[in-house]
Amino acid sequence: MRNVSAIMRRELLSLFCSPIAYIVIAGFLLITGVAVLWTGSFSPGKPASLRDVFFWTPWMLTVIVPAISMRAISEEYRSGTIESLMTAPVSELQLVLGKYFASLIFYVIMLAPTLVYVVLMEAFGNPDWGASLSSYLGLLLIGVMFTAFGLFASSLTSNQVVAWILGWVPLLLFACLAFFVVSLVQGWVRVVFQQVNVIGRFDEFSRGLVTTDGVVFFLATAALFLFLAVKVVESRRWR
Amino acid sequence: MIEVRNLSKHYGSHRAVNNISFTVNEGEIVGFLGPNGAGKTTTLRIVTCYMPATSGSVTIAGHDVLTESMQVRAVVGYLPESVPLYPEMRVREYLQFRGRLHGMDRANRAAAIDRVVERCWLRDVIDRPIGQLSKGYRQRVGLADSLLHNPKVLVLDEPTIGLDPAQIRATRSLIRELAQEHTVILSSHILPEVEATCQRLIIIHEGRLVASGTPDELRQRMTTESNLIAELKGPESDIGASVRKLAGVADVRTTLQDGWTRVSVAAQRDLREDIFRLAIEKHWPLRELRRDIATLEDFFVKVVTGTREQHDGRDEAAAER
Ligand SMILES: Nc1ncnc2c1ncn2[C@@H]1O[C@H](COP(=O)(O)OP(=O)(O)O)[C@@H](O)[C@H]1O
Ligand SMILES: [Mg+2]
Repeated sequence: MRNVSAIMRRELLSLFCSPIAYIVIAGFLLITGVAVLWTGSFSPGKPASLRDVFFWTPWMLTVIVPAISMRAISEEYRSGTIESLMTAPVSELQLVLGKYFASLIFYVIMLAPTLVYVVLMEAFGNPDWGASLSSYLGLLLIGVMFTAFGLFASSLTSNQVVAWILGWVPLLLFACLAFFVVSLVQGWVRVVFQQVNVIGRFDEFSRGLVTTDGVVFFLATAALFLFLAVKVVESRRWR
Repeated sequence: MIEVRNLSKHYGSHRAVNNISFTVNEGEIVGFLGPNGAGKTTTLRIVTCYMPATSGSVTIAGHDVLTESMQVRAVVGYLPESVPLYPEMRVREYLQFRGRLHGMDRANRAAAIDRVVERCWLRDVIDRPIGQLSKGYRQRVGLADSLLHNPKVLVLDEPTIGLDPAQIRATRSLIRELAQEHTVILSSHILPEVEATCQRLIIIHEGRLVASGTPDELRQRMTTESNLIAELKGPESDIGASVRKLAGVADVRTTLQDGWTRVSVAAQRDLREDIFRLAIEKHWPLRELRRDIATLEDFFVKVVTGTREQHDGRDEAAAER
């Protein structure tokens, strides 16, 4: 546990030393800000809700979250620091978990300023607190899953940009397009797409519908990809 | 302290390390010498648990690198060849981080950092970002890191590569100092480097161990087949024949140079006195008589080129079949 926290703290330090961190945060806040205006969430006459904004957020997150985690492991490969790390008394699991928690904390820090919109919403009207709360739980769970996937992508290559692409392309294809595909297909394919339909699952959360099924889906996929990332880092030794 | 047995490592079909065995005793400082691509880094990476061997075993302080990896890592300090560091971190932050990884608490870390910073003369740069440091300082940060947990065994991969002569000298004397408290194995492709610092040399080439021993032993092995040069005035064929008759002579070559006969003798023992007596007996004037003292450099070159010839021979033989 000490090692996980040491790696996490070092990773956060490096994250906040890099311009990418600030670009990602600024970009995210800018886009959500624009989305708030564009969807007219604060227009008079509309119900006080951020649902329209929340609808678009997961799409952005498919691209943004892998940008947070892309450097985590690939940069260790590229700079060779993986060698000093893996010859210190540190296990691959501790490395992956440390990196994961750092990326996740960064994600939460990035998300936090958007609470301002919720506060503003209260000033403008009478928002549905329950739905806002469950939406944020949904966003958190999306972060839990996407970060794990981004970290897995980062463990595959020593090139940050490649890691980013390996992160967002599958997320966009499987997690989000499934939202559209699911109504077009039948049979077992439909069942599969229903399962991986992240947007659909998130939509439930933003309607205030928190199901165990939904929570378990995000946590289980995160665990799966973290496990895979550990295996990939371990496999480096056998190459 | 370090026991390497029949170690082999293949990268795909390429054999980087081929059946190497050696031991390093406690308190020894051993030089691991070989030309580029000999397999030094590969061997040291196996010894430090970075990657597993294809076959063979390594134990350090009684722990197997494969099955008791964490115990091995706790007693080994490793300076990788490329000295990988995080450029965005300050020296102190980096050493704090490494101390945490070694499970040191706050007080221990402070004491350990103080000790290694003193040892490696990092006082002036301790709050500077590593990325701004010169190559020499970065090398010292790497060395300080490897010393942080006061390891029994220090593994240094080409610790002076890329340094200027003054830094090389400083690093060498630091390593010699460290050898008083730690068992040290350091690699190099430059012979004077290890000759100056190490008690014992292990020479590898193309993944094979080709020689090992103290510098004196290796030099001895070389001088037993030393060359003797003499210049005498007399009939060339007579001189050649007389020298060949001396006991212990392996090979004699004569050349004529402005009236003098230059004799080059490969011999098992020192023939200078015999040649001198011969010259007096035959009334041949003698103007030069010297024994080529073989340097370790010669030995290194010979060992390295020698094995290459052997290999080529073997390959040709295999091809003929
Ligand atoms: N990761 C690797 N994959 C494939 N071949 C490698 C790898 N690392 C080293 N080699 C090869 O193994 C041989 C030994 O390399 P190395 O141990 O680095 O030698 P040295 O450190 O003595 O210069 C070289 O021929 C090198 O090309
Ligand atoms: Mg090397």
